[in-house]
Amino acid sequence: MANEVVDHGRRRFLTATTAVVGGIGVVSAAVPFIKSWEPSARALAAGAPVTQSLKKIEPGQQIVVPWRSLPVFIVNRTPEQLAALPKQDDRLVDPKSDGTSSGQQPEYAQNETRSIKPQWLVMVGICTHLGCVPDYHGEMKPEPFDPNWAGGYYCPCHHSRYDIAGRVYKGVPAPKNMEIPKYHFIDDTTVQIGVGPKGEA
Amino acid sequence: MKRFLPAIALTFGLLLGAQPAAQAEGEGLMSAHASVRDPASLQRGAHLFFNYCAGCHSLKYLRYSRMADDLGLTEKQVMDNLNVTGAKFQEPVVSSMPAADATKWFGKNPPDLSLEVSAKGADWVYTYLNTFYLDPSTPIGWNNTTLKNAAMPFPLWELQGEQTAVMKPGTHEVEKLQLTTPGSLTPVEYQQATRDLVNFLTYASEPAALQRHHYGVWVILFLALFTLLAYFLKKEYWKDVH
Amino acid sequence: MSKFSAWIGERAPGLDATYRKHMTEYYAPKNFNLWYYFGSLALLVLINQIVTGIFLTMNYNPSAAGAFDSVQYIMRDVQWGWLIRYMHTTGASLFFVVVFLHMFRGLLYGSYQKPRELVWLLGMLIFLTLMAEAFMGYVLPWGNMSFWGAKVIVSLFGTVPVVGNDLVEWIMGDFLPADATLNRFFALHVVALPIVLLLLVVLHLAALHEVGSNNPDGVDVKHGPKGNRWSPTAPVDGIPFHPYYTLKDLVGVGVFLIVAAFIIFFAPTFGGWFLEHDNSIPANNLLTPAQIKPVWYFTAFYAIVRMVPSAFGTAFWGVLGMFGSIALLFALPWIDGGKVRSIRYRGTGYKVGLMVFVLSFFCLMALGMDLTDEYFPRIFGSGIDLTTWDNVFGRFWTLVYFGYFVFLWLYTHLGWEKTKPVPERVTMHD
Repeated sequence: MANEVVDHGRRRFLTATTAVVGGIGVVSAAVPFIKSWEPSARALAAGAPVTQSLKKIEPGQQIVVPWRSLPVFIVNRTPEQLAALPKQDDRLVDPKSDGTSSGQQPEYAQNETRSIKPQWLVMVGICTHLGCVPDYHGEMKPEPFDPNWAGGYYCPCHHSRYDIAGRVYKGVPAPKNMEIPKYHFIDDTTVQIGVGPKGEA
Repeated sequence: MKRFLPAIALTFGLLLGAQPAAQAEGEGLMSAHASVRDPASLQRGAHLFFNYCAGCHSLKYLRYSRMADDLGLTEKQVMDNLNVTGAKFQEPVVSSMPAADATKWFGKNPPDLSLEVSAKGADWVYTYLNTFYLDPSTPIGWNNTTLKNAAMPFPLWELQGEQTAVMKPGTHEVEKLQLTTPGSLTPVEYQQATRDLVNFLTYASEPAALQRHHYGVWVILFLALFTLLAYFLKKEYWKDVH
Repeated sequence: MSKFSAWIGERAPGLDATYRKHMTEYYAPKNFNLWYYFGSLALLVLINQIVTGIFLTMNYNPSAAGAFDSVQYIMRDVQWGWLIRYMHTTGASLFFVVVFLHMFRGLLYGSYQKPRELVWLLGMLIFLTLMAEAFMGYVLPWGNMSFWGAKVIVSLFGTVPVVGNDLVEWIMGDFLPADATLNRFFALHVVALPIVLLLLVVLHLAALHEVGSNNPDGVDVKHGPKGNRWSPTAPVDGIPFHPYYTLKDLVGVGVFLIVAAFIIFFAPTFGGWFLEHDNSIPANNLLTPAQIKPVWYFTAFYAIVRMVPSAFGTAFWGVLGMFGSIALLFALPWIDGGKVRSIRYRGTGYKVGLMVFVLSFFCLMALGMDLTDEYFPRIFGSGIDLTTWDNVFGRFWTLVYFGYFVFLWLYTHLGWEKTKPVPERVTMHD
């Protein structure tokens, strides 16, 4: 009956080749399914750069612009608020944003004011502790949570505090300064969030 | 197995050939020979659409950005030449005409054309665009032999010119249409222009068609290789079976 | 690897035994032909439907306001969403192609006959569940055909005497197909019916492996001589399912995938057969599509509804006829009293009968798809009265469909069938 000798080498070769090709097929077939989880065209459209005019923002006022479903704070900082910034340094975790917060802003905003133009703060308003949206307390006056308050942000969730450049104070749960998004000025009074000065997204 | 292969191929061919009764009602449609594989035609069709149709009709499922990618247009070209509504680049093509005005002017809201070709067929749209004629008896002065009493005034009349109907003697049935006032295009040029427009609408109905054609060939070639290997492997093992 | 299998084996005692029982030591007759590919292909399509279906639910929105838009969202905005959806829609139609061929195989070789009645009954239950599953899935895109299809099919239940109207409202949860209808169909389509299908498939296979596979000769290999090169106690004409039939089926899978890929990538609507043109129009309760007809796989049964006239003030008879046409298939093992299984050795009456039966199925299908309205005028001239022609044509083939079962019972139970002798051993043809 079994008068032919089984060619084991050929069998092994064909089995291996078919398995490899079949495996490539299965993996390739999985790619579209994995890719389907990436942000869709609709999500990308919603996350497209946002252009905002600065004309109607009074000194000391903050507006909140939605970008990628995130609240982006834009503050027209007064000279007094700016002058208070360097005085906070020794009370802050990372005043120069070059330590634990070095990844929290683009290079062009890694400075004392954490901005391109000192006057304008553009910042993602998400607390670095557990993701709440901190309240804006712009006025420089004693607050229940800080008698020496120089203007800034106070998170209602776990009482983290930030100065008016989004730099986190020592002794609060939040570990890092708040994030500065990529942005650039289209002209003196218009800012675009989501794209840097060199067009990088 | 081999004996059955021709039978399978034949069945398959017959099925595909015997398509269900016309895509839309209406006999004797002209053939558009629509194809989405000619980028230049798609671009010309897009220009026609945005110049003559987009005032009233939306393509609410098609984003400007997607169209630019697929048709090989730059963001600037689309935003400067095609998008006149002020919509963002990533947003879909939505006509700026308020629905209330449309209903007042035409008696109905102009339909969204995103899926027009999927629903009616390319040939129907093509024939429709070629069969408008002057008809003083309708409120808008135009009629159409493909869609009787169409609510739409003929938007492309400058291009095609004016057709009038020749009636069958003693009836109100249209026997044929004849061009009485030439337009800016010759009849051949006009047919090509409407073909471009239909091609663009065919693309808008299913932008994925471009990807389908692109990947399909490779998938089938790969599967053919796999099947061949599986066949040799099966043959090798079945040497055991007598 | 063997260490790992041993480790698993010690902790899952039944696993190795189950694998051997159903794969390496399940001895299937060695003479399976082309018709025997469709069972494993049905399983492949089922897996495809489940995987692609899970991914579709991730972006589909089961509401009357959002369903249609969400399908276009999948087709355009979700990366590769179009491929996942076309795999699902093409899979749905190919599921029925494969299942119809699989069932026809059963008719050809008497696979429903003793001792495989239970396999056949479970298979028929799978078919019935699949029809419900397909119908509900068809409603989900909420196009105009979805809407009107739902309305018409649900209205079939309205013909049930006395409770009909209440039943229709209960099924829809409204007075028209609406949000409530869509939501419950979605729940049934993606959760309830798939679970039932999977369970039935497991039982179908378990029942099959209990009695053993039939084959194109209808020979009982289990009761024939014993001893082959793999086992002295196994049937002499049996071969281990793995690797022989797994590899053979793999070739079938390859060919099938080429066909499927051709449709998915180059003809996903299949000229309006798999995805209907009118379903590109959003559901509109004021605008009935020009032709309301089910998808192709339902048309043969649906045509019977149309062909049975109303009587005594009710249209219930047509619906009874439709369900009856399926119920008779359930009863096939008892209607057919044939002494041999395979068509190769059956009487001429059976061969002719089966051919006519299949022809009646195709003719009813053509009628249900309104192909007759297109082709009759071409063949017989445009002046003919289509309603009369359709009715004569459709009623004739409806009678033939039902007549087949009567004929089969008489032919086999009254001893009219003259069979040929069945060989002792299976025969190999290629």
